[in-house]
Amino acid sequence: MANKVFVTGMGIMSAIGNSVEETLYSLSNNKSGIEKIRYLETSHKDNFVVGEVKLSNTELIERAGIGNYNRTTLLGYLAVKEALKMASITDMKEARTGFISSTTVAGMCHTELLYKGFFEGKNNQNFIDYHLNGVSTNDIAGLFGISDYVTSISTACSSAANAMMLGARLIKNNILDRVIVGGVDPLSKFTLNGFNTLMILDSEWSRPFDENRKGLNLGEGAAFLVLESEKCVKEKNKNILAQLIGYGNANDAFHQTASSAEGYGALLAMQKAFKVAGITPDKIDYINAHGTGTPNNDASEGIAMQTIFGNHVPKFSSTKAFTGHTLAAAAAVEAVISVLAIQNRMIFPCLNRKEQMKDLTITPVDTLEKNVSLDYVMSNSFGFGGNCSSLIFAKN
Amino acid sequence: MDALIDKLKGEIIEQLNLEDLKKEDIDANAPLFGEGLGLDSIDALELIVLLEKNYGIKIQDPKDAKAIFTSIQTMADYIKANQK
Amino acid sequence: MEIYINGMACISHHNTIDENYFFEDIGSVPLSNQLTATEPNYKDHIPANLIRRMSHIVKMGVSTGMMSLKSAGIEKVDAIVTGTGMGCCEDTDKFLRTLLDNDERFLTPTSFIQSTHNTVAGQIALQIKCHGYNFTYVHQNLSFEYALLDAMMLLKEEEASTVLVGAVDEITPSMFELFYRGGHIKKLEELQPIWNSTTKGYLVGEGAGFFNISANITPSTYAKIKGVKCIQGITDSSELENIVNFFLLEIGLKKDQISLVLSGNSGDVVTDNKISEFNKAINQPIAYFKHLCGEYFTSSTFALWLAANIIKRQTVPLAIFPNHEPLSNIQNLLIVNHHEDHQYSLMCVSKC
Repeated sequence: MANKVFVTGMGIMSAIGNSVEETLYSLSNNKSGIEKIRYLETSHKDNFVVGEVKLSNTELIERAGIGNYNRTTLLGYLAVKEALKMASITDMKEARTGFISSTTVAGMCHTELLYKGFFEGKNNQNFIDYHLNGVSTNDIAGLFGISDYVTSISTACSSAANAMMLGARLIKNNILDRVIVGGVDPLSKFTLNGFNTLMILDSEWSRPFDENRKGLNLGEGAAFLVLESEKCVKEKNKNILAQLIGYGNANDAFHQTASSAEGYGALLAMQKAFKVAGITPDKIDYINAHGTGTPNNDASEGIAMQTIFGNHVPKFSSTKAFTGHTLAAAAAVEAVISVLAIQNRMIFPCLNRKEQMKDLTITPVDTLEKNVSLDYVMSNSFGFGGNCSSLIFAKN
Repeated sequence: MDALIDKLKGEIIEQLNLEDLKKEDIDANAPLFGEGLGLDSIDALELIVLLEKNYGIKIQDPKDAKAIFTSIQTMADYIKANQK
Repeated sequence: MEIYINGMACISHHNTIDENYFFEDIGSVPLSNQLTATEPNYKDHIPANLIRRMSHIVKMGVSTGMMSLKSAGIEKVDAIVTGTGMGCCEDTDKFLRTLLDNDERFLTPTSFIQSTHNTVAGQIALQIKCHGYNFTYVHQNLSFEYALLDAMMLLKEEEASTVLVGAVDEITPSMFELFYRGGHIKKLEELQPIWNSTTKGYLVGEGAGFFNISANITPSTYAKIKGVKCIQGITDSSELENIVNFFLLEIGLKKDQISLVLSGNSGDVVTDNKISEFNKAINQPIAYFKHLCGEYFTSSTFALWLAANIIKRQTVPLAIFPNHEPLSNIQNLLIVNHHEDHQYSLMCVSKC
């Protein structure tokens, strides 16, 4: 299990940019992507602000140039394309290559437009061919010619963290030489209304780790990272962006949606990540928190951080006020942001925060910090079903 | 009032799938959450929709729900006071 | 490292929840184009306060998981890995219809919460208070196989010593209509034995299968898992033959050591073409299983449950192996599955 796992490429499509470069620009200029609903057809158009990718379906189709795929596949394809380009990978057959994607709603953005008509006999479009979770994975893998290991996972809002963890394990176990890992979720009426029923959407800009936080802003997007083995990196003399050194997956086993008050699942996931990384908590320089902005998450996650780090909680922030909560893609979006933080020696701030949380003694970074040396960065992601995952990236 | 309480009991049993319970098993003054019926936060959200859909009453802040949903009696009182 | 199935349970169209049942009562001819599950009394396996919100698929998945634990004689596991091809269709359908019918009003959270694909894994964790590794695969016909590969990798990494791994899929009226109108499901008037079919479409099914696997053999051990392989797609039957030959080489078996092949023919004359040719070419005894469980994305769980049972009982039910001399000394079973000519998989189980 001595095999190291390196990040050699990244690609991202989110509310704050259609590339890694645009993402960095927005992050370092306090430019949030949360706006009034522009593209999603919903009767809540004026009720909520969201983080949409600033391209219509038609524009996405044009940009991708692969035909009439739905938003899920197009977003995923564009992010994978950027990641592969950055990693200078063109030939999928020169090494054992895998593709692991994750999504919660998959083609729901497409299904919800055709569903009623189909069952009322008004149309006969077989949307199921685009609806299922594996479909966009298979389409993207097929378009790039990846076939050695192709799978899809779904563990709610922690999905992409688990895709990254699985990819790292497959490299460490010498099953793959390199693997493209990440997640994609389009905005849909289904998720917007779903989170609305839980009364955890903020109709204004979300305020992660603020005493008066009301809930989250939904986002959408795709992000993928290229993970490669030490052998691959050495043979090709690859440019290394970061190393994925730790990962942990645990279950809170408390409630179907809510996190336990003490954040036990989060705590376990972080502890496991430290064990795999072989480092102690005091090494961590920055945590990109899950920090959705819901009353429950931020309290529970904050308590878990205070428990594991004691009086020395590292600098932390949630970047969800920039991107919105991109659900299955969130952990990959935040992995890209974590690697950008390491590369550019910056800590991106927790936007919109004003008042200290009474439940916590810790305070997030709320203005951009420059010239900070970041050797080890942790990224947390939690989801419904008690799924908790934590990753640790290291500067190489 | 008794008719409203009876109606509410039926609606709650149906909405929350309390299939093992009968109306007469539920004490209108017993707590709905924790002890008593043992409902949880998801049930509270279900009840908020029940009030909106069946009685046209909208609860904006989930924090207000706690007092309203103390018991079936408090729910009935709230409906009486707020129904247009 | 050897990996053993130490407990298992299966919900299917037939009475597979009864551990003494082994298809003694049925012939080989399909009876319907929709093989819905024979359900247990869920209250025997799931506490009442959890059960009241659960939809059909969640109840099937959680109860099968609990029955598997019971069959292994344990109450706790180190990790839970699940798979589902289509996820929670009933809850998704309910939430989506309410949303579309009421212009996005009067929606309640329960069906939304339970529509997520990891609901079954989360609910099992909640019920047995398992804080360990928890993962859900959603890769259509390979959802279970990838879950099983992950579970086996966890044992090899020594991250877990016992893993509960399984998968579940449900057929709802909406999904039936969708697949039927799409021409995927066989018309009632065209029902035929699946291994000799000349008509299009499959018999649609549903079910759940869970397995307790471990690197340690126990008194309850059914069989050992020799290998699992996922195949994204094949161009022709000879490619499948080559992959099978390579797979057997990897797990150290010769073709004539395979006592029986369980073939995933679905009864669709078009998409079964390659697997039917493969069945002829391999020249080993072939049995079929999808007339018993139907076609669904995680039908491999049924096949694995059947295979492990055949090994333990050393008998092949007539219902899957008609007009053959009974087999004796059953050592190795090879399962070859596919879904409409997409996503093939191989699993090999052996006598301990």
